[in-house]
Amino acid sequence: MPEAYPLPSNLSSATVTNTASLLRIVTLALISGAAIASRLFAVINFESIIHEFDPWFNYRATRVLATKGFYEFWNWFDPTAWYPLGRVVGGTVYPGLMATSGVIYNLLHALNLPVDIRNVCVLLAPGFSALTAWATYMFTKEMKDPSAGLLAAAFIGIVPGYISRSVAGSYDNEAIAIFLLMFTFYCWIKALKQGSALFGTVAAVFYFYMVAAWGGYVFITNMIPLHALVLILMGRFSNRLYAAYSSWYAIGTLASMQVPFVGFQPVKTSEHMAALAVFGLLQIVAFAQLVRSHVSSQQFQKLLFIGVVAIGILGAAAFGIMTLKGWIAPWTGRFYSLWDTGYAKKYIPIIASVSEHQPTAWPSFFMDLQFLIFLFPAGVVVCFRQLRDEHLFVIIYAVMASYFAGVMVRLMLTLTPVVCVASAVALSTLLDTYIDPTEPEINDDTVSESGASTASAPAPGANGTSHPTTPKKTKKAVPPPQSTSALGQIIAASRSSNNKPRPKGIFGADTRLMVVFNAMCLLAFFVFHCTWVTSSAYSSPSVVLASTNPDGSQHIIDDFREAYYWLRQNTQEDSVVLSWWDYGYQIAGMADRPTLVDNNTWNNTHIATVGKVMASSEEVAYPILRKHDVQYILVIFGGLLGYSGDDINKFLWMVRIAQGIWPDEVQEPSFFTPRGEYKVDDQASPTMRNSMMYKMSYYRFAELFGGNAATDRVRQQQLPKVGPTLDYVDEAFTSENWIVRIYEVKKEDPLGRDHKSANAFSQGKKRKRTKPAQRRRAIL
Amino acid sequence: MKSFSFIFALLSLPFCIANTQDAVHKQLVELAVAGNGVIKLDPKSFDLITSPKRNWSAAIQLTALDKRRRCLPCNDFDPSFNAVAKAWATTSKKNRDNHFFATLDFDDGQVVFQKLGLTSAPVVQVYPAVEGPRAPANGKVAPIPYDFSSGYEASTLAEAMSRYTPVVIPYSDPIDWARYSTFAAGLLAFTVMLRFIAPILQSRWTWATISIGLSLIMTSGYMFVRIRGSPYAAQDGSWIAGGYQNQYGQEVSVIAFIYGLLAFAFLMLIMVIPYQMSPNRQRLQVYLWTGVIMIIYSILISIFRVKNRGYPFKLFL
Repeated sequence: MPEAYPLPSNLSSATVTNTASLLRIVTLALISGAAIASRLFAVINFESIIHEFDPWFNYRATRVLATKGFYEFWNWFDPTAWYPLGRVVGGTVYPGLMATSGVIYNLLHALNLPVDIRNVCVLLAPGFSALTAWATYMFTKEMKDPSAGLLAAAFIGIVPGYISRSVAGSYDNEAIAIFLLMFTFYCWIKALKQGSALFGTVAAVFYFYMVAAWGGYVFITNMIPLHALVLILMGRFSNRLYAAYSSWYAIGTLASMQVPFVGFQPVKTSEHMAALAVFGLLQIVAFAQLVRSHVSSQQFQKLLFIGVVAIGILGAAAFGIMTLKGWIAPWTGRFYSLWDTGYAKKYIPIIASVSEHQPTAWPSFFMDLQFLIFLFPAGVVVCFRQLRDEHLFVIIYAVMASYFAGVMVRLMLTLTPVVCVASAVALSTLLDTYIDPTEPEINDDTVSESGASTASAPAPGANGTSHPTTPKKTKKAVPPPQSTSALGQIIAASRSSNNKPRPKGIFGADTRLMVVFNAMCLLAFFVFHCTWVTSSAYSSPSVVLASTNPDGSQHIIDDFREAYYWLRQNTQEDSVVLSWWDYGYQIAGMADRPTLVDNNTWNNTHIATVGKVMASSEEVAYPILRKHDVQYILVIFGGLLGYSGDDINKFLWMVRIAQGIWPDEVQEPSFFTPRGEYKVDDQASPTMRNSMMYKMSYYRFAELFGGNAATDRVRQQQLPKVGPTLDYVDEAFTSENWIVRIYEVKKEDPLGRDHKSANAFSQGKKRKRTKPAQRRRAIL
Repeated sequence: MKSFSFIFALLSLPFCIANTQDAVHKQLVELAVAGNGVIKLDPKSFDLITSPKRNWSAAIQLTALDKRRRCLPCNDFDPSFNAVAKAWATTSKKNRDNHFFATLDFDDGQVVFQKLGLTSAPVVQVYPAVEGPRAPANGKVAPIPYDFSSGYEASTLAEAMSRYTPVVIPYSDPIDWARYSTFAAGLLAFTVMLRFIAPILQSRWTWATISIGLSLIMTSGYMFVRIRGSPYAAQDGSWIAGGYQNQYGQEVSVIAFIYGLLAFAFLMLIMVIPYQMSPNRQRLQVYLWTGVIMIIYSILISIFRVKNRGYPFKLFL
């Protein structure tokens, strides 16, 4: 048997196995290190700070849990949120994340490590990413072999699609959820392979943890039943499937109902019905199998078949009727909008308005997954070639997740693991084929000495991603070569699956070198890409902004915290702050003041009220503000700095949401110019110019430019020379770069006048008396 | 005597107006019946139907249907408006005569378009009743424009217009017989052919093709194009949309093709070439497909650099 390059022949098989497993452990440790390290850009470039919006609430809740204990947290009623309604936090939150950090915090304190709770929260996501890499390794190991597992672990460790939601400081549910997702899937595959009720139960426990941690648990709730259903349809029903699914479903569902926020949903809503239906179907099929194995009569089998089909149809009809009757709740809007993509924009603008619910354009896919995006279809095909039960899972997962990721940007997160797994399978098969030193017998007579040049062949793959000393399992391989070395025996042992395989193999060292070198270059490029994307795009805390000075140094823009601390230091503790819902959690977390609406968008009417205040004129808004005890209004304005995520750009959504509740009072078209443009300059429509949002954003803005034309740098428009005036609110605070502007709502005029005439009076203007009031009228 | 007649005249004045209003109303009802629910307006009847003393409401479509005006949306929307008006004409006479659907073409009433300051079409304006029991409680009688942002479909129009009519417009989408029959025929053909296509359906490679196709299309932004309704290509013929968060329809096919080609190259390397038992041919294929990967990947990176200008890396191109 010719070999492309020589292998050491004086190694015992025990040495090879031991070295391989040591290398695996070292590689996994290094991958974990890389996964954690690449997520620390945010801490190094900025500071140890909680990012964005939702994490601020999670952080606040965790602080309550850490300082006051679990029961206080469980019964926590937060009167400062959704003023004046308040929010029952314990029952409206997925507590898994907070509980996890609480446990870690208490554990560290029990070990006499006085770590601040904030640091626990900031570093939770990177820590869990290491666990995710491990879970992905275990999962992929079940698909192919440990070397593919290591590749998959390395991919998920640094792939931007996952880093985007798990950098240090991004303290959100997704931080731990992806680990739970992968580990639940791993347990499911393991349970299915072995028919083990134990692994089914472990899957159920992790499913429970997932339910407690993230709303995306519904993905698992539907993926596993879908997998089971496809297996049944393909005639692959087995007792292993029955044991695995039944133990997972029964325990997992009962456990998930213990989470108060979920409650009875698993038996009442459509999202969970698929799991229940497949559970029922499995029982029927299992029963039919049982009877068939005991009864021989042909007629009876026919009857049984008809009976099973009839029960299935009856069950489906019962579901339909119960849905129609309303006993089973229909799809919730968020999930429904995944299928009927026009639905959300029309009926639930609050869902459509969130930027992470937008559809995904292809550059986002490429940015987040780079070369994995075109490698993973190859991996799926490789799965099709073998098509064991667990490969079906990867295939279904890949198809479903790529659809979901296309519909919503945020669901890229669920696509990322399967892309890593499938590409790892593909790449590992490629490397297996081309690193394997054995050459096939030459059948072709015309061939000369092409394959014999073994002298110069180096051993490629001396880096961490793959190592040639690992035993390779290639299923359809050449007949066992008569090799004397231990490695050769191991390779031979792993190949005795097929009795009559087609001969295959690679000739020559140059071809091997070429392909392996190309693969290494792809991998190296991937590492550079991931590092660049992570450091430049995904590590900004968005609470603190950064820009570059002309000399290249970093300039930190800290307007948000400046303003929130101003509120904290200068206002009464119970003064209500009105802002658009995006900033609710941040105000509560950093300024500690009651807010009207926040990122927990449970009450559409309340949000629409805020939208109406922003979209109406001062006269209309003032009574609403007073009725809600609002003392301060906070708007975000990016026109001076060119910060595009400001309130004027979000304004149309406020209008739309308000219009959904008050179609007669707020109308979207009236905010456009007659030509249908959204403008803030001279041509802006009167409704636009009289709206609170416009006035509060551009109040005194023109003065900054000292007589020159004021320019809005976000919208690139020139503003009118004379800016808007305000009668019912006073400017209270404007941050350094004008990003945050805070206004104080005036109390009622002591003389009972409206503020407009009171202001006019104090400025010495005479009241216009164009027409005498119509007191007298001719009576006919 | 003089003063008496004056008072009489004064008293009778409202009746006169009421009389003329009645006459106008009667005329409108007749026109509506004649026009299958839609009144075709000219500047004069426009003034009548929008008379400031009206005790009826009206939804008026201002449009430009003439081919020369090249108003595609007008022609798209006109059938929806007529369908809704026709549905309204089927309600009981008491309700029907309180609300009118009318249409005014640009070529019939340029004056009106100028008067209303309209520069685009189609426009639908709802004129609420000014007098009588149906006058709005808040006293707002200014015409209310219909918001086209939710599309030109008749069902959304009917839903929106129902807010201004005395009773809900009994509009329901016509049953799409063509679609149902196609579906039924397809299903029938499928069952008949089932025996013949069963081997195809049971082949894993059929399903592999379907799955890969779906994944490729989805990851090249097909759903983005569908949801946002992006055009296939720009007006000036360029097929790459500027900007990282945007794309045209043609990009989907190009990117899906590139991804597919790259995946295919890897599959050749993995699944086909090892079985090639002639060393020279095998070597040629290895070099060929490795080269394909390098070149196509470079092209992909260069397209990505067009979309994301700040991307610092490039390969051979």
